[in-house]
Amino acid sequence: MMEEDARRWRTVAAGILLGLGFLVALGRLFQLQVIRADELAQLAGRQYQKMLTVEGGRGAIFDRNGKILAITMDVPSVFGAPKYVSDPRATAVRLSRVLKADARQLEAKLKSERDFVWLQRHLTPERAEGLQGLALDGIGVIPEGRRFYPKGVMLSHVLGFGNIDNQGLEGLERRYDAALRGERGRLVVERDAFGGAVFPKGLNYVAPSPGKDLVLTIDEVIQYIADQELANVVARTRAVSGVVIVVEPKTGAILAMAVRPTFDPNEPKADPNLWRNRAISDAYEPGSTFKLVVAAAALEERLVSPREFIYGENGRYVVENTVVHDHHKNGWMTFAQVLQRSSNIGMIKVAQQLAPAKLAWYLNAFGFGQKTDVDLTGEQRGLTKELHEWGRRTRASIAIGQEIGVTPLQLVMAVAAIANGGWLMRPYVVSEVRSSTGETVARFEPVVRRRPISTKTAKDLTEIMRGAVLPGGTGMLGAVPGYDVAGKTGTAQKIDPLTGAYSATRMVSSFVGFLPADDPKLAILVVVDEPRTEHWGGTVAAPVFQRIATQAVRHLGIVPKTEQGQILAAR
Amino acid sequence: MSWVDQQTMGLRWSDAAVAERPRRSDHTILLLTLLLVAIGLGVIYSASGVLADKRFGAPSYFLKRQLLWCAVGLVALLVVARCDLATLRRWAAPVLLLGLLGLVLVLLPSIGVTVKGARRWLRIGALTIQPSEVVKLGVVLYLAHYLARKGDRIADLWRGFVPPLVVVGLLVALIVIEPDMGTAAVIGLVTLGVLFVGGARLSHLLVISMAALPILYVLLMRVAYRRQRLLSFWDPWSDPTGTGFQVIQSFFALGRGGPFGVGLGEGRQKLFYLPEPHTDFVLAALGEELGFVGTAMVILLLGAFVAKGFTIALEADDPFARHVALGVSLLIGFHVLINVGVITGLLPTKGLTLPFLSYGGSSLVVSMVGAGLLMAVARHRPPI
Repeated sequence: MMEEDARRWRTVAAGILLGLGFLVALGRLFQLQVIRADELAQLAGRQYQKMLTVEGGRGAIFDRNGKILAITMDVPSVFGAPKYVSDPRATAVRLSRVLKADARQLEAKLKSERDFVWLQRHLTPERAEGLQGLALDGIGVIPEGRRFYPKGVMLSHVLGFGNIDNQGLEGLERRYDAALRGERGRLVVERDAFGGAVFPKGLNYVAPSPGKDLVLTIDEVIQYIADQELANVVARTRAVSGVVIVVEPKTGAILAMAVRPTFDPNEPKADPNLWRNRAISDAYEPGSTFKLVVAAAALEERLVSPREFIYGENGRYVVENTVVHDHHKNGWMTFAQVLQRSSNIGMIKVAQQLAPAKLAWYLNAFGFGQKTDVDLTGEQRGLTKELHEWGRRTRASIAIGQEIGVTPLQLVMAVAAIANGGWLMRPYVVSEVRSSTGETVARFEPVVRRRPISTKTAKDLTEIMRGAVLPGGTGMLGAVPGYDVAGKTGTAQKIDPLTGAYSATRMVSSFVGFLPADDPKLAILVVVDEPRTEHWGGTVAAPVFQRIATQAVRHLGIVPKTEQGQILAAR
Repeated sequence: MSWVDQQTMGLRWSDAAVAERPRRSDHTILLLTLLLVAIGLGVIYSASGVLADKRFGAPSYFLKRQLLWCAVGLVALLVVARCDLATLRRWAAPVLLLGLLGLVLVLLPSIGVTVKGARRWLRIGALTIQPSEVVKLGVVLYLAHYLARKGDRIADLWRGFVPPLVVVGLLVALIVIEPDMGTAAVIGLVTLGVLFVGGARLSHLLVISMAALPILYVLLMRVAYRRQRLLSFWDPWSDPTGTGFQVIQSFFALGRGGPFGVGLGEGRQKLFYLPEPHTDFVLAALGEELGFVGTAMVILLLGAFVAKGFTIALEADDPFARHVALGVSLLIGFHVLINVGVITGLLPTKGLTLPFLSYGGSSLVVSMVGAGLLMAVARHRPPI
């Protein structure tokens, strides 16, 4: 038997150890319940709440004259609350007759564990009406916002579209999604660990606020004209694609942006390839239209004057071991005539006087190789070579619009700068954001990006471009009766992806110009990609320019030169 | 010894005393027991009401059952408290054998009831009982009996120290198979504690403890894993049945309770977040509604119970009585520590009840019988 003292000591020791354990337990409880209480309670609070978001109505999109381009209207959608459906099978069968949907799929939805399931959204009026008579348990119809684009395919590349939950996916719908969407409302319900809602009396509801409206710089009428004319030429020439852009040279405001092929934003499920806004996302070799940019550089640098004579080498010229041809056997001609006849040889000769670094500087100054910062999604920078990547022939190639990729928007903005006295503007399509009550929330003003050339150079170039649409110029079909038009054609050979050489049959035909030449209101670019029936810019694109310009000036009420004279005379 | 014998024995003590002495029954233990059980009933009702309503359509389902067990426990307590120590000593072997039988039966697929992957319960008619709870008492009685009989050679490794370890080891092994790590751990700790006080060599105890280290290591690693899981961002919805979820929900309950609690019946964690809000995690449920004040009070009451048990053990002069009191005190004490350790995330989650408070008939009755044992020992301590 152990001694009494040792026994007592061991009992006390065991008691003290146990007592220490109790102190640790108390300390731990103190730590969790007093020291960390707030932190833990806050974490706990999160799991009790389930947030249901309530969408506000999506804002509308208007053209510059208040015409509706996109609007959200309430249409009925049918949903199920599976917990309240007593007989899923019978319910599904009856619903399937009205909704023309598969009964088994409906039944599966009605048997799900969820509180809420969509059965069919955006019902046709007949189906919604058919549901009225059914009166089924746990089945309900609620109005849901559905996006409508009343003009269909028109302007679809600019407007873009959203998904069924009104989330902007493309175009302005995406770019301005936050503004259009408005503030989401919140419905907070408490829930238990099984996910069921409890304490519904404690509902916490924050009402949604409606989205904001957009007002565009687009003129619906000019857009329509551009769209129709482009559709016609693409169809007639059996072209692959086409782009028309109409801008205000003085502001950079885009009046129209038409792209083919196109899609209907009301049913945008088709080929995503069709969604691409080729006016800003596709780069192409501009060909002769680009001579304007190189000419602007040469004139600004005073390397040449419009009246200076340049020898055309009778249509055959060797530069850096490569033979360059002109379509006409030109002899001596002025620099103005070089552009008006679109002489490759003349243009290359002038460009050879430009130091490569200088030329590169002008390309950059006119905005090539950079985004125009237009307020649309998907814009590309185009393809420009860094100076150190230039080969021996690069300068000559650029002079005639090769070895450089530009987006249609970049090109039209550069030409618009010539029309605008040398000021390069930032293009934009949204002029105003308005609240649902019509108050202006934000207004977008024209922004000057930079000034690549002087007014003098711009004027000289404008004069030369006027000559290009006069009889004898390559762009004579672009002439608009009663107005002075400045323009330039382009017929660019495309590189054959198989051979890597320039194709003799695949062309990009284009025409860029502005009017009235002395006070430009419109700059228009027409690009037709791979027209099959004919391919000259002067014959394919110039007439399109002419028709669009003719209708646009009439719509805008721009006074013809002849009438101007009469008015002045009448005074 | 019969009831009458005992009375006369008491009388004899009285006669020996100078003055008239009341029969010594310890009211402290009874009072603490009743208080703890009452608190337990309140928390069980509050914590299980919504669950019971959802599961059985009756909010008081668990309360009623626990009340019934409470009555059984109270009767058992009073009977045991009035029992003679010699009688109790005779019961040691049968209780242990009964427990052993139960543990074997539990493992038989046709008899044992499997709940959440563990075979811990026996169904007898409408009742389910947990043999491992009975084993706890059996081990305490057995060890006390063994030490009373052969305590003088406990320092001898093979003839004194190992035999009880073999017996207990067999029982613990059966419990581990169920598996019920919590109960196994409690029984192991109680055994070590009783043998320590009973005079076993420290070196022997150390070797045995070393043998348990690998198991301890695994358990600790699991705690570290869970800690890490809590620290990192987690989403309880992704793994609502996982073990991490339970501890985290327990933390939330305690944290929400704060110092003073959200108020009786106002707890939200019991709404299906807290696992077993009325059984193993009853203290977390209580902590949410009554705050640190409530949990600390419960811990102090239980601590007082254990302390009183130790005092009774110290004051008892009969070796059997002393070791019974010690065993019960250690049993309740370790039970409380492991339970609190689990709900506060210090120990891995193991199904172990909080004595007196948790829902569960076997646990309650065993705890109350333990209290009865303490009272019986106290009654027999010699007059001061």
